Amino acid sequence: MISVDKVCKTFRVHKKEPGLINSIKSLFVRNWQENKALKEVSLQVNEGEIVGLVGANGAGKTTLVKILSGIIHPDSGSVDVLGFNPWHRKSAYRKQIALVMGQKAQLWWDLPAADCFLLLREIYQIPQEQYNKNLSFLSETLNVEKQMHVQIRRLSLGERMKMELIATLLHNPRVVFFDEPTIGLDLTAQRAIRQFILEYRQAHNPAMIITSHYMEDIEKLCKRIVVLRNGAIVFDGKLNDIVHHFTTYKIVSATLKEGKEVSEFTLPKELGSIIKGEKGSVRIKARRESLAEAASFLLNQLPVNDITIQEEDISTIIEKVIREG
Amino acid sequence: MEFRVDFFLRIVMDIFYYGINIGFYSLIFMHTDLLGGWSMDEMFIFMSGFLVIDAISMTVFANNLWMLPTFINRGELDYYLTRPVSSLFFLSFRDFAADSFVNLVMAFSIMVWAIVRYPEPLSLHAVAAYVMLILCGAMLRYFVRMLFIIPTFWLHSVRGFEMIFFYMNRFIERPDRIFYGWVRVILTSVLPFGLMASFPARLLLDGFESLTLLHFAIIFILFYFAVTRLWKIGLRAYSSASS
Repeated sequence: MISVDKVCKTFRVHKKEPGLINSIKSLFVRNWQENKALKEVSLQVNEGEIVGLVGANGAGKTTLVKILSGIIHPDSGSVDVLGFNPWHRKSAYRKQIALVMGQKAQLWWDLPAADCFLLLREIYQIPQEQYNKNLSFLSETLNVEKQMHVQIRRLSLGERMKMELIATLLHNPRVVFFDEPTIGLDLTAQRAIRQFILEYRQAHNPAMIITSHYMEDIEKLCKRIVVLRNGAIVFDGKLNDIVHHFTTYKIVSATLKEGKEVSEFTLPKELGSIIKGEKGSVRIKARRESLAEAASFLLNQLPVNDITIQEEDISTIIEKVIREG
Repeated sequence: MEFRVDFFLRIVMDIFYYGINIGFYSLIFMHTDLLGGWSMDEMFIFMSGFLVIDAISMTVFANNLWMLPTFINRGELDYYLTRPVSSLFFLSFRDFAADSFVNLVMAFSIMVWAIVRYPEPLSLHAVAAYVMLILCGAMLRYFVRMLFIIPTFWLHSVRGFEMIFFYMNRFIERPDRIFYGWVRVILTSVLPFGLMASFPARLLLDGFESLTLLHFAIIFILFYFAVTRLWKIGLRAYSSASS
């Protein structure tokens, strides 16, 4: 459904030193800097799949989404979405895709949402019956029926975002790009939007790509993630696999009988390291390959009452991968 | 029409603009019988033509084109580029200035007044053709304006170009025949401001000349293709903006 092959994109940016003299100098001599936003990025996304695109600011997530939706043109490589080259921007293509950008409004500020949707019905040539059905499904699911006749600029951020989602999905797109759909929203609104995206996928089975800085979005919505760092893909696989791929440790926590002290307890280097040791409990980071020995060492050396073994938190791992690989 | 005071104030301002134009030409013809080969009655018909062009520009295009460079620089074309309609069409016609629509009605009323008071008989066909050519003149003005705006894709600021456009725009309000030599050539070809209102009036008032119409049609088609082509090339350079 979505196929990206060795896509590269470089932006040329004018760099100017601060100050009046440098401003005058820059009138005559320009310093250009090349920012490689995407470096030979390749990926495939299938129908019904929700792929989380994660990366730090400037990693290339939004650039990739904009290339896929036909907004900007790649320097090299090829892109195929639903059998179309997005850059050709054929109407037949644009009628089957949708883009939501959490930081950019697509609705007309001074119009009520109901008028915006009517305008979109004309633009997408949505048959009246389908329009009525979709609008009532979307507005009921998102619980915004009462706000339909209020000017967009008078809505709260959460309500506006819900209206943006309705505007995006009215025409039943087969491919949806979400660029930070929950940014700036409170926890309740974030949860509502995540729930809605899952329900929408269940009902319509589109391919979806989601970029977000909120790891909860990614964890709750995506089974597969693609991690971008400095314009290159550093991981593409199942969300659970990232743990095995990037962590060599597990966390072993033990509570001790009678609140014993652990001040003299040491762990051999080859087994791992102590994260925290205090009266009555100890947490260690144990190497995966020697996990059994580490646990057994702990049980032998300390009066253990209870022991738990956990993976590192997924969001912590992703954040670590984003930063340093 | 969301803001009532602004709505009525803009209508009043435009009434002033029409009044000043009619007064200006009435004053000139107190001192001369002909201007650019036209009498006062003919000049009122020509004037009504450029007033209609101005009203169409204000009603249909002004708000949209005024914001376009900002949209390009701030990456706000993104959503327009994902819609299944021509982005150039959508961006040019997205905001209809309803408050200026009243002015459009007034400008057309002035045109009807100028045609009705004209002492010579004018056939209905000729008047219909004149209105059509004036509409084409308004489109031609839009094409030229776009050619001054599209370089934003590369230059990011086109305030200099826009100033040139608005200085040159004054030539719409002058009959092309008051200019001579290379100035006239430029004003009827490369920068066709001298053609937008003058040629339709010439075809109505001086009798049909196929060469004049052909000249108008060629310039219109050339500018149409120039705008659509340059827009596509510009979009290739569109870098959006980081979100």
